[in-house]
Amino acid sequence: MTSSRTSSDLAFREWILQQPEGFTLLRCYQCGRCTSACPVAAIDMSFNPRLFLEKLILADESLAEERLIWTCLTCEQCEVRCPEHVKIPEILVLAKVRGLVSGNTPQTALDRARAILSQGRTILVSEPMLKTREKMGLPDLGEPPTQQLIKILKDLGTAERVQSIESRYGGVGDE
Amino acid sequence: MSKSIQYTYFPGCTIPFRLPHFELTMREVLKKLNVELVTDEAHSCCPEPTTFPGVDIEAWFTVGARNIAVSESYNRDTVALCSGCFHTLSVVKHTLHSDDAIRERVNKRLKKIGMQATGEVAVKNILHVLHEDIGLKRIAKEITNPLKGLSIASHYGCHLVRPIEATLMDDAENPRWMEDIISVVGAEPVDYKDKMACCGAPIGPSDEDKSFKITAKKLRKIADSGADAIVLICPTCYTQLEMQQKKALEYLDPDFNIPVLYLGEMLALAMGMKDVVIENSRRYHRVKIQPLLEKMEAGE
Repeated sequence: MTSSRTSSDLAFREWILQQPEGFTLLRCYQCGRCTSACPVAAIDMSFNPRLFLEKLILADESLAEERLIWTCLTCEQCEVRCPEHVKIPEILVLAKVRGLVSGNTPQTALDRARAILSQGRTILVSEPMLKTREKMGLPDLGEPPTQQLIKILKDLGTAERVQSIESRYGGVGDE
Repeated sequence: MSKSIQYTYFPGCTIPFRLPHFELTMREVLKKLNVELVTDEAHSCCPEPTTFPGVDIEAWFTVGARNIAVSESYNRDTVALCSGCFHTLSVVKHTLHSDDAIRERVNKRLKKIGMQATGEVAVKNILHVLHEDIGLKRIAKEITNPLKGLSIASHYGCHLVRPIEATLMDDAENPRWMEDIISVVGAEPVDYKDKMACCGAPIGPSDEDKSFKITAKKLRKIADSGADAIVLICPTCYTQLEMQQKKALEYLDPDFNIPVLYLGEMLALAMGMKDVVIENSRRYHRVKIQPLLEKMEAGE
């Protein structure tokens, strides 16, 4: 089944195990309670958290390329029901991160990331909205300290990476 | 009057700049309870927990830790009205506190801007503040217009409640704090099937179809319980269940609808501040709340 396993696959598995809570992957004994608890699996049989975990346990990196992983709600229903408290949504997040370089990231996710990295907020603040806040008597929230974000993220190269990636998904924006 | 209790208010993006009536109504409610929210411009986006970690989890953690460091510069608890912000901050805080390796790694980055985070600050959501800090008895004293005759279903939303070791909520499968508040305002809390089921919003960016199917299922179950309204806390859930309700119901049954109130709106109505709710209802509610107001008045 995993005949095409490569050293990159093994590196991926190692990386997961080193991340905070990533080691919980090894506690999975494939009982499938995650899948029976999952609201996405309930409407789409191809979404199968148990199978995702199996792939990762067997060091199959192809999971990072599957669009399906981005239909995890992060609702944590699987984790709540898991008898071993495997951090399933967090482990799927790690697979998503790994899929970034190949473009397996929805356009909206990239847009939001770019907005956070360049202006410190996910959304653009409009003049009319600032007036609405003023009218409501709500305080001025100022400008987020973007320069500080740039400094602390510099060694991660996040901004460069996010700028250079193109999403394989169709461009469905936030608004 | 006794000195007010202060919290550092973490504003985030969606509530202050998309749904400011959330902030407005909750600030008014908290004023009645002698609680003040203090802002700090140094806070940035939390960052949002549903897509950003999947782009760069280390960056998500680092920016989150910077926000925690800002909060730690004050000798008071932090409250996030938004469940996404609360989730990010509480998870980051919990991890900083319990994982030495990541705390050291992140603090090396924060050092470049003269900051550091320990994970010691208390990060709260509005239920911690209302139910645990202020208490139901104190809230009951401010109820001047009980919402008699109204049946209300709670939608907690996932990120407010989970993971429980970080959110410090009462229960991961059957939280009850919101029902307690519904009872205090004089309405009837309604149970419905799969109360903790997700609103569907997080997967909108990757699969709109599935996202709305999940929303429609949720709305159906709530409607089947006979509830007059849904009360909720999360602005993303609100966008999905209220602003997009019509679109979601096209997947199921376009012939019904159910009004949605933000927790602050429900409390404001019961505390005699109907005007602040009505003034903003046309702009921020697509499902009419008029039937609720009428039923509320009939019950008085």
